[in-house]
Amino acid sequence: MQQFQHTLNDQERLLLTVAEQLKVPFVQIAHLAEQSKLEPSSANWQTVRATAAAALGLVESYALSLRLHGNLDQPELVPMTVSSLLYDTAQELSQFAKQYNVELELDASAHLLPIMGDRAVLQSALTSLGYVFVEASTAVEKRSVVRLAAYRTRYGIVAGLYSSMPDFGADSLRRAHQLHGRARQPLQQLAASPAAGVFVADSLLQTLSARLHVARYHKLTGLAATLVPSQQLQLV
Amino acid sequence: MHVLLIEPDKILSNIYVRSLVGAGHTVAATMNAQHAIQLADEQQPDLVIVELQLKGHNGVEFLYEFRSYQEWLTIPVLVHSFVPPTEFVRTPLLTQELGVNDYLYKPTTSLAKLIQAVQKLVPIKAL
Repeated sequence: MQQFQHTLNDQERLLLTVAEQLKVPFVQIAHLAEQSKLEPSSANWQTVRATAAAALGLVESYALSLRLHGNLDQPELVPMTVSSLLYDTAQELSQFAKQYNVELELDASAHLLPIMGDRAVLQSALTSLGYVFVEASTAVEKRSVVRLAAYRTRYGIVAGLYSSMPDFGADSLRRAHQLHGRARQPLQQLAASPAAGVFVADSLLQTLSARLHVARYHKLTGLAATLVPSQQLQLV
Repeated sequence: MHVLLIEPDKILSNIYVRSLVGAGHTVAATMNAQHAIQLADEQQPDLVIVELQLKGHNGVEFLYEFRSYQEWLTIPVLVHSFVPPTEFVRTPLLTQELGVNDYLYKPTTSLAKLIQAVQKLVPIKAL
């Protein structure tokens, strides 16, 4: 009998990673529903709402990335500040972080020049990344901190999320890019899950000619994108 | 029965702890393999429930270390994982080498089924 073999392309690998990732919130919701039936007094609805919102957020981000890569949508570049982008991302992640007992810190105090970017794309990318960091940060027993931060370098504004990840470096990220869609835990140093948000974020950033890279900030390690300030907006 | 639960997701961990306690068990929960070994040493569990996908050292690595100690060879182990059991069909690794007593696939396992599987393993420890 002839066997059909098909090597997955990049988009199919991303879809597989997203599908594997979505099993987690679906199992959480199914269990929470079962528990509520057994113990009607248990107040699980907040967790269900935050979990469902995170799952929907991942699906939305994946769909946006697919539409942009398939030229069904075009990035809409508008002037914006990175500080407001981080603030809005922190707002969007706050309920989810609360469920995981993770403290979100926002540090965008440096004077940052405005950029031209697609707000929906950048915020989707940072939020997708945020879900992974929040989930991953609870793999220690104590209360954890995830920091959203932006700072200037000579190449541009580095905006991303940071936490305590001692063994995580550029090699880990490079390997993860090769492994996602092939291995169940492409970022094993960071997360127990398939960390789909990392790859969705990278896919979204690519549509704006940016990439995720490993960055360090005040002894924390993170994943960030370097965004180039707009020369024209500087003159306004 | 005293259960050692190794579950990396905080929300799922809380759910499982609550269900197990509700079924009359005591639970020591952890999210990583290294801490699980320490807990096993301190608390001498009657049963281990482990997810294979963990941050850092994974569940298989945990089981290799756990089963390397003589005194823990008879403690029943229940794998409760997002990894489909079909991935281990062609290898005797989990059942023969690592002494896994039962395997539950999370997406198709209800809380009731998990508790039922735990109850089934009680007599194994009693022997």
